[in-house]
Amino acid sequence: MGVHIVMDRSGDTRHEFDIADARAVALAERRFKELTGKGFRAVALAKDGGSGRLMGRFDPQVEETLFIPQLQGG
Amino acid sequence: MERAVQILRALLRRALGQSAEDAPALVDVTIESAAEPRLWVRFSNGYRTSAPLLPQDCFACCERHSAWDVESLRRALLGEARHIYAQMLQEEAAMRERQRRTWVAEQMRRLGRGIAQSLRPRREALRFPVFGGRSYLDERRTEAHERGMRLLKDNLSPAQLQQLNRYGYFEVIGGKTGKRYRIRHGRSMNIDQLDKNGRRVCGWCFFPEGNLVTGDVMLAQKAALELFEVDALKIANKMW
Repeated sequence: MGVHIVMDRSGDTRHEFDIADARAVALAERRFKELTGKGFRAVALAKDGGSGRLMGRFDPQVEETLFIPQLQGG
Repeated sequence: MERAVQILRALLRRALGQSAEDAPALVDVTIESAAEPRLWVRFSNGYRTSAPLLPQDCFACCERHSAWDVESLRRALLGEARHIYAQMLQEEAAMRERQRRTWVAEQMRRLGRGIAQSLRPRREALRFPVFGGRSYLDERRTEAHERGMRLLKDNLSPAQLQQLNRYGYFEVIGGKTGKRYRIRHGRSMNIDQLDKNGRRVCGWCFFPEGNLVTGDVMLAQKAALELFEVDALKIANKMW
């Protein structure tokens, strides 16, 4: 089971998908491309609270992907 | 709007109608599989309410959440319900706040400024506006804030979590330069760059777009410094 965690005003929105289900994986990939196309950065979360990994392309094997909106200076 | 979401909204509105002053917390959403399936919503004060849920009501929601069995759909609807209910509570609180302010203004006009000042509740002193025109206390109350902090805490290392709980900040090491940064509890102007002795060298200000809650902002700052430090600092404003 994979999950996409998208940061938003509600805290986060989670989209779970079964990696054995080709349709669900295709939808997840489409979501990945849409979000990264909008400027979100995708981070594969590490289990132990470590640094994680910046994702350039969709990887269905990643258990938890965090989507961070574009940054702005304050 | 999706039919399933409309049904959820109607059910949640019933709970608010039951006790608008002290709204109960949302506990669970269940789908009763029977001859006529029903969607049930349960609240912390024991109140339960339901409505019929037809398969065609769920198609759009199933599609959007990739939920193709009852349990996944239930989880998806629970997530939706939490989101919608948090928004409804916020709107409810904002409306009550407006009504209260109108009442206070009326009292001030009647009693005169001096007396009204002395009647003002003390907690008002803690209300100061943050981004989006909401107040500090309002934000703390929302479920969104709690979700954000939970997400942050789930993704800190044990040492960072201990620092956050004890001091209200945590330190990260820049992924590219190896520099030390301290991320303090906050949503802007909350990053200090430290020298090798832990003294502040300068401050940095950057945060994700979208008026996110504190936990999300701090987690985004941590990830940015650890994974794309140079890009983040190019966008950031430096403060001495």
